[in-house]
Amino acid sequence: MDLRKTVRLSMLLSLSIVLSLIESMIPIINGIIPGIKLGLANAIIILVLYLYGFKDAFFISITRVFLIGIIRTGLFNIIFFFSLSGALLSIIFMAFSKRFIKLSIVGVSIIGSVMHSIGQIIIAIIYLDTINIIYYLPYLFILSIPTGIIIGLIAKKMLNAKIIN
Amino acid sequence: MHKNDMILIVIILIIALIIFIVPKINSNQGNKIANVYYENKLIKTIDLSSNLKQEYNIKGYNGNIVIETKDNMIRVKTENSPLHLCSKQGWVENSHEVIVCLPNRIIIKIEDNEEMYDAVVR
Repeated sequence: MDLRKTVRLSMLLSLSIVLSLIESMIPIINGIIPGIKLGLANAIIILVLYLYGFKDAFFISITRVFLIGIIRTGLFNIIFFFSLSGALLSIIFMAFSKRFIKLSIVGVSIIGSVMHSIGQIIIAIIYLDTINIIYYLPYLFILSIPTGIIIGLIAKKMLNAKIIN
Repeated sequence: MHKNDMILIVIILIIALIIFIVPKINSNQGNKIANVYYENKLIKTIDLSSNLKQEYNIKGYNGNIVIETKDNMIRVKTENSPLHLCSKQGWVENSHEVIVCLPNRIIIKIEDNEEMYDAVVR
């Protein structure tokens, strides 16, 4: 791995962590509907996916979850598993849809945000031990579409602006 | 945006609609009970088969909660919490639906009254 790439990836990783932290401090984004957030960090993950491919994006995404755990929410508690399962499902399906389905960057971002909701619902079903939580999925799905579009457009802007070239 | 993106959005909306509708079709009329849990312990079972208006008082974490039933439906009438999410949720009638009052540590699950079927079979 060449040095230039290492430095860029570590800067993107720190950027994604800072975005997560800033987002959690803005009450408007977190306050309107409980359990919904914009997921600004996902824009960075998509950027890495398009610049460097699945392997690096996967690494950045999982490292981000662990570092956010250490910094803010704590490791191996329920919030940690919520974000880990969301991040895993989202990066795997985003890479899959980028490769095998003809989607634009916005479509890939929508897939990512929908998969975040599915991952969290799966953990909620296991944790609360009731399948009934699945009936919250329609609301999460419908809200995933606008947040996915916003994040996708941000990622597209960053990619076109050639912040990293 | 790509054409496939639009198709993707439509597919997601259809899936959301299916998950939204299925419990409403599956729900059987009458013969329903509402189980009220406080800190994951069952504290009250309310029969929803009567059409009469009735009120129940439950002790939650932030004080009293008034639960009202009417026409096989149930709602949280008044409760003390920062966002009042569970009273805003309003009337709920379909089995497998839940009312969650997390600040009060109260969960109300609507379930089919299976004991009734057992009695019929016997």
